[in-house]
Amino acid sequence: MTELDTSEYADVWVFVEVHDDVMPVSWELLAEAKTLTAKTGDDLVALVIGEDVDGIAEEALARGADRVLVADDPVFEPYRADPYGAQFRAMVEARKPSIVLIGGTHTGRDFAGRVAVPTHAGLTADVTEIDVDDEGILQARRPAFGGDILATIVCEDHRPQMATIRPGVFEAADPNYACETTLEGSIERVEVVVDEADCISEVLERVVDATADITEAERIVAVGAGIEGDLEPALELAEALDAELAATRAVVDEGWVDGARQVGQTGKTVRPDLYVAVGISGAIQHVEGMNKSETVIAINDDPNAPIFDHADYGIVGDLFDVCPQLTELVQERGILEVAR
Amino acid sequence: MTWTIVVGVKQVPDADEVGIDPDTGRLDRANAPAVMNPPDRNALEAALELRDTVGGSVLVITMGPPNATIVLEEAIAMGCDDAVLVSDRAFAGSDTWPTSLTLARAAETLEADVVLCGEETTDSSTGQVPPGIAAHNGWAQLTYAEELEPQPDEGRLVARRDVEGGYELVAAQLPVVVAVAYGEFDPRPAGLHRKIFAENDFEPREWTAADLDIEDEVGLDVSPTAVGTMETVEPVERRSELVDSVNALLEPLEETEVVG
Repeated sequence: MTELDTSEYADVWVFVEVHDDVMPVSWELLAEAKTLTAKTGDDLVALVIGEDVDGIAEEALARGADRVLVADDPVFEPYRADPYGAQFRAMVEARKPSIVLIGGTHTGRDFAGRVAVPTHAGLTADVTEIDVDDEGILQARRPAFGGDILATIVCEDHRPQMATIRPGVFEAADPNYACETTLEGSIERVEVVVDEADCISEVLERVVDATADITEAERIVAVGAGIEGDLEPALELAEALDAELAATRAVVDEGWVDGARQVGQTGKTVRPDLYVAVGISGAIQHVEGMNKSETVIAINDDPNAPIFDHADYGIVGDLFDVCPQLTELVQERGILEVAR
Repeated sequence: MTWTIVVGVKQVPDADEVGIDPDTGRLDRANAPAVMNPPDRNALEAALELRDTVGGSVLVITMGPPNATIVLEEAIAMGCDDAVLVSDRAFAGSDTWPTSLTLARAAETLEADVVLCGEETTDSSTGQVPPGIAAHNGWAQLTYAEELEPQPDEGRLVARRDVEGGYELVAAQLPVVVAVAYGEFDPRPAGLHRKIFAENDFEPREWTAADLDIEDEVGLDVSPTAVGTMETVEPVERRSELVDSVNALLEPLEETEVVG
């Protein structure tokens, strides 16, 4: 293998994931990537691929990107792996980014896996912490072995250094960042290298409701396998508390709750003031995503369930009794409005 | 026009049996029994259903040590037609880049029309290998597939893909690599006769890196990523206070300014 001259590579790119709107994780990455470019002196570059995305490019600047690269063409709407992959590859070869960060959504993971191969990039999945060392080497930290261990993955000899980042771990970039810092970035439209005739896939239909964003919720009622398919008690409690519903992977895999509401490894990280765990055993993969909650209350009928070790308050009891009782008590007392 | 359907499977440590090493306090994966990566069962079922509809054959491949044969036997017992063990010391230290290259070359050699994989492996949870296979071969990819509709006359496979907040239907030209959403395609049980055959008479084909002409393109040296340090995650401090009545839960709700 020929040695790669890593000194030719510079700048931190953030992939801005666009489906009508921008996925929130993209703005989270933009904010966190600032901590990397502050150390390396690189430019922070937002990568916007899509159709009619000028407004999104402007927003990326407003949120603090030094530069925005725009590939604007109907071939990029909606997302498909093959045209996005070909476009990205051409841009990487021409511009040589040192680091590329991508949100760990289904689309982000589909894209990252595709584009890392032809550029022989190093790609780390499901990252929850990022940093750079003195040589500009990305330190991508991710939970391993079910979450008991945090592994640091590095990519010394290949470029770009790529990572998919779990949604919800970082705070989103301020939409007025640039105004407050009088930052002036530039938008550059790049050559589109993809032709529809060369595409090998076709999106026939796309059905997406407004996606729930549990990462911003201040109060969460989360359900585990203990609900046995009956969401009603948890939904009523959530309504009484003005809380968002969330779920473990087991519940999502059963199809009881949409995947956008999954907390934990391969799902989202949440940081609410209040997290009520209903019928959740407390597997480490789930706990990892709720660790940043301020106060945790657990309801479970198994006194030995590990969730009680990860909760501030616990009650051993049948959730089908406890939830309605608690709902009623809360309704009697009246809740305070969520401070937003 | 029948299809050659290739399924990539992997042997992983049984996540339910991974214990703690009493000396180091670290997770002990080496002594956990090895099992088939659970999401791969969904991929096998999806492959067998495609064969039921379109006709053709289901070939299973795994990369691993010689004892990984056992997961191939399981796949044969489920009804797969043939299996290949890709095994070589040269693969040691491979990250997802050379792993997906190896599987891509194997799929090409087998003249695959469709390659199916599980969504991700439970031991490393990257989900990067299926799109990696597609990228190495320049093939189409369909990840997070919940349903599949073969269209053999058009040489296409349509997948219903799970995406945030909904789904999309995507048609891909063959050859195509599919990552099956974990939990979809409920795996069929092995038939008794097939199981006896798999365990007693079946021998997989065996390929080395040289057989795939990739002996210089695999292993640690070509793997872009490396594991640096490993730190034990300190548990977050919690009060872990058990209350004995639902009423008592109002107190923390007051403290967190949820109720008045």
